[in-house]
Amino acid sequence: MNCEQARLLIGAEPGNASAELAEHLQGCAACATFREETLTLDASIQRALQRPPQLASARRAPLRTWRQWALAASVLLACTATLGVWLLRPTDTLAHELVAHVEAEPDSWLSAQQVTTEGVNEALRSAGVQLDVTSDKITYAHSCWFRGHYVPHLVVQTSQGPATLLILHHETAPAGRRRGFSEAGMSGVIIPAQTGSIALLTRGGDVNLLAQEMQHDMHWLPDAR
Amino acid sequence: MRNPQPESPVLSLGERLPGGDAGAPLTRLFESLRPDLLRFAHWLARDRAIAEDIVQESLLRAWRSREALKDANAARPWLLTIVRREHARLYERKRLELVPLDEVVETHAGEASAQAEDDLFALRHAIMKLPLEYREPLVLQVLGGFSTEEIAQELALSSTAVLTRLFRARNKLRVICGLPSAPDAAAGQEQP
Repeated sequence: MNCEQARLLIGAEPGNASAELAEHLQGCAACATFREETLTLDASIQRALQRPPQLASARRAPLRTWRQWALAASVLLACTATLGVWLLRPTDTLAHELVAHVEAEPDSWLSAQQVTTEGVNEALRSAGVQLDVTSDKITYAHSCWFRGHYVPHLVVQTSQGPATLLILHHETAPAGRRRGFSEAGMSGVIIPAQTGSIALLTRGGDVNLLAQEMQHDMHWLPDAR
Repeated sequence: MRNPQPESPVLSLGERLPGGDAGAPLTRLFESLRPDLLRFAHWLARDRAIAEDIVQESLLRAWRSREALKDANAARPWLLTIVRREHARLYERKRLELVPLDEVVETHAGEASAQAEDDLFALRHAIMKLPLEYREPLVLQVLGGFSTEEIAQELALSSTAVLTRLFRARNKLRVICGLPSAPDAAAGQEQP
């Protein structure tokens, strides 16, 4: 072990007691000093971490009234412009955001343990979706924050492999018109539903077969919102 | 299979404490760990209110998955892992970066301005200002008691990458404490 390796190890694990490091420290006074310093530093870090700082917004000088009104007007203008851009944004961003969301939760594809009915219900209920999912092969069920709403995020084991199902009860889609997409190794389809729409995503499976399969497994309840 | 009527949601774990149900010992265990979880979440989220939300959501998730906890002694690392993941989920979904630290000050809350307190004050602020990629493994190691291998597994990184991040985190803090910075031999070599 050389000095660079020793210091990397000491800096990363100050309490490391490996024989190799001990041997190096016996013959290197500089690294031994570095270790003593780091141990002292680490004790301070431990003390500091015991209590997060109380953070408070720094006080700013009071603004004159006309400046406050000008600031409010500019904020309102910016919000209006942002809202306009958001409302007029191309709907293709929905597909992009779906893929990004699924990519951000890679564990969802890997789960093999069946989620209990209670777990599925919880995911649906906390997103305010009243839906009867009759599949008994759901291996992932969470209520996820997506485009300003909580939506149920399920992974269902199908004949086409695992499929992600996002119930987008706030995303309307033109009736009778499916929209397919393919991005980042995933293919998917957005299907208009009784309430909002449903997105299906798969890696390598046939989305059309998947959509047929899922339609047998999902039923909106009569009082669905 | 038709879903049965859902049960009443778990609004607050604390509400179950007075009851005599079978989950009460576990609930008490969770509650006893809440201060640790809150401290941990606070260091990750850098915002007390968000940290409280994260902990509440984490405890609800933990309660729903309580069958997965086989050993009560493993509850602390298990819950810390859930808190970390809940923070990551919130961060990814909402792109949270809510505390612009250049615009905030720490309130001393009546502390004596002794040199030692001032040093801790500076160190706390320095830790808060560390980028999440350095702050997260440091907090996991020092506050959570996780080993390098466990952190690597949790963050989906190699052990070498975790060692490098921990080294760099402490190296930045060394400078704050008036110590000379150590040469970064791993510069440009970190691999995920």
